[in-house]
Amino acid sequence: MLSPELLASAIRMSVPIIITAVGAIYSERSGIVNIGLEGMMIVGAFAGAAGGVFLGPFGGILVGMLAGAFMALIHAYASIQFKVDQIVSGTAINILAYGVVRFSAVSIFRAATTTPHVDHLPAITVPLLAGIPWLKPVLTHVSPLVFVAFLLVPLTAWIMNRTVFGLRLRSVGEYPLAAETLGVNVYLMKYAGVIISGALAGLSGAYLSVEHTGMYVEGMTQGLGFIALAAMIFGNWKPGGAMLAGLLFGFAQALSFRAVSEAIPYQFIKMIPYLLTIVVLAGWSRRSRPPAAVGVPYERGEST
Amino acid sequence: MNAQLPRSKAAKRLALLEKFSPVLAVLVAMAVASIALIIIGKNPLVVYGTMFYFAFGRMDSIANILYKATPLIFAGIACAVGFRVGLFNIGVEGQYLIGVLCAASVGFAVKGLPVYIHLPLAILAGAAGGALWALVPIWLKLKRGVHEVITTIMLNHTAFLFVQYLVAGPLMDKTGGMGPGGVDLRVRTPALLPTARMPDLHGALGKIGIDFPAGSVNWFLILALLAAVGLWYLLWKTPFGLELRAVGHNPKAAETAGIRSNTVIFRTFLLSGAVAGLAGLSDLLGYFGYLDIDFPRNFGFTGIAVALVGRNSAVGIVLASVLFGFLSRGGMGIQIIERVPMETYYILQGLIILCIVMASEVIRRYARAQQKKEEASPNA
Repeated sequence: MLSPELLASAIRMSVPIIITAVGAIYSERSGIVNIGLEGMMIVGAFAGAAGGVFLGPFGGILVGMLAGAFMALIHAYASIQFKVDQIVSGTAINILAYGVVRFSAVSIFRAATTTPHVDHLPAITVPLLAGIPWLKPVLTHVSPLVFVAFLLVPLTAWIMNRTVFGLRLRSVGEYPLAAETLGVNVYLMKYAGVIISGALAGLSGAYLSVEHTGMYVEGMTQGLGFIALAAMIFGNWKPGGAMLAGLLFGFAQALSFRAVSEAIPYQFIKMIPYLLTIVVLAGWSRRSRPPAAVGVPYERGEST
Repeated sequence: MNAQLPRSKAAKRLALLEKFSPVLAVLVAMAVASIALIIIGKNPLVVYGTMFYFAFGRMDSIANILYKATPLIFAGIACAVGFRVGLFNIGVEGQYLIGVLCAASVGFAVKGLPVYIHLPLAILAGAAGGALWALVPIWLKLKRGVHEVITTIMLNHTAFLFVQYLVAGPLMDKTGGMGPGGVDLRVRTPALLPTARMPDLHGALGKIGIDFPAGSVNWFLILALLAAVGLWYLLWKTPFGLELRAVGHNPKAAETAGIRSNTVIFRTFLLSGAVAGLAGLSDLLGYFGYLDIDFPRNFGFTGIAVALVGRNSAVGIVLASVLFGFLSRGGMGIQIIERVPMETYYILQGLIILCIVMASEVIRRYARAQQKKEEASPNA
């Protein structure tokens, strides 16, 4: 069952989950729940492919990130400035994303659910290591974004724990009033957190369309944004944990794509990632430790 | 908040503003959506005009709006019940699919019953299916502390796959619809028995002089309106409604007042699921008469918008459902006449949700400013 090919597929599938989950950490650590990740991924996937058609793969990835960041800006504006319920706002983002993407797809390509084919980024084959038989499928012709995803993990850990920005971001999510008294710009930090998460969700969407499939197809995110959110929770709001959870869910995804069985109908195999997400959360949620002030709107200059 | 200043002019103005804020939010959303229309080179006024004219120009179109509003009333009530108790039931989407599945099964598999038993049984099966699908997330929330949003989303995907499996597999109609080369074109359940079908409103409305075409609105519209009355009655006239609202305001305070919050939350969520289970039945029992894999989707998500725009109240939900029925119908119109993508509907839907919640914050701020002013000068 566990072949090098399956492992390679698991890693490819874990990439969007890891990127989005790591992005979610920035938002959640700043105290904003981001349930709109799915929508930001959808927009990123479409914008990535559309950008890829006109600007080539690098341009496409960049456009995807910008589109994700823009959706995040809306979420940030509504939930920081207007203090609306963050889950309601995130849901609105998801519906909006669906509409905006279909609208754009029809307007630009005259097709509601797909874009034309796009080229991918130049693939990388890791020298020497790819010669080892077991690692060959994992390290040959790999998307550069795979490395980006795995580099994002230590980078985020470093930012969160070792930089002034990270410390401020976390303080805003734990105890915003204290942070403000110490001169931290609470709103600015929250904006930064949400927008980074949107840009990364956009990147992850663009990975799906530009790198993984070679085009945008409606429904290609398949709830990955929510699974990424679950991975972040399972990873206890830490990049390393999110990565491990992302690999687990990626493995389940790969299994659901590759496992072919006479005995089990494919619809049931396709359920594996969703059911696994529920089971994992059910076993874990009691032990998880979210940031203290996550989801609580912060009112500037008021002590209540 | 404004209950503290019942007689002042400002408070009256505020109450009025609050009442009409959904209208304001819809207008703002339409203005923002104009940006997309201008980008593709259309005049928003012409587009919205067409939308209006197309939707309300003819009797059959108005019937279609009410037909589209019917499932939304159920979905809106399901979401509103959740919101009232402080829960976010984003799982209406999956719950109504399972509801439809159960009702369809009863509809074609149970034979030999008279209509006055078979039809109610199919409807009950729908409600039971919806409640069943709501059982897992609420149990996980109360027992294991898992937030209902992620579990319900995961269960939405699971429900869709499950229905797909059954409709394309064990429950598929094997009796007909063979295409060229013996390929079965009809991936659907067998047709429901006539005894499980919901009658049309065509005849009844004809008697009072309303000429809706046959095959448009059915009696589920009346049931939906009754459900809305039921929501009002439950919330404001029953002890359970009082408990429900108390828990929604502040679960800890409710607990201190002797209300068992978890029990109330549990029952309310199941109720929400049961109502959600009815959302697809108008299409199933009143129109299609079978379940296939292209069964209408997204009622659950629109239901969230309906509940928010309708401010979780019975009258509001009915009006909001008609609004979204109109937008959906109008969306078709602008696609046909103006060649504007009908997906404008979803853009509007997302924007309306955002505008409505932002509007309530603006009003809250305004109210607070007024209150401060009045406190400063008590004679004002």
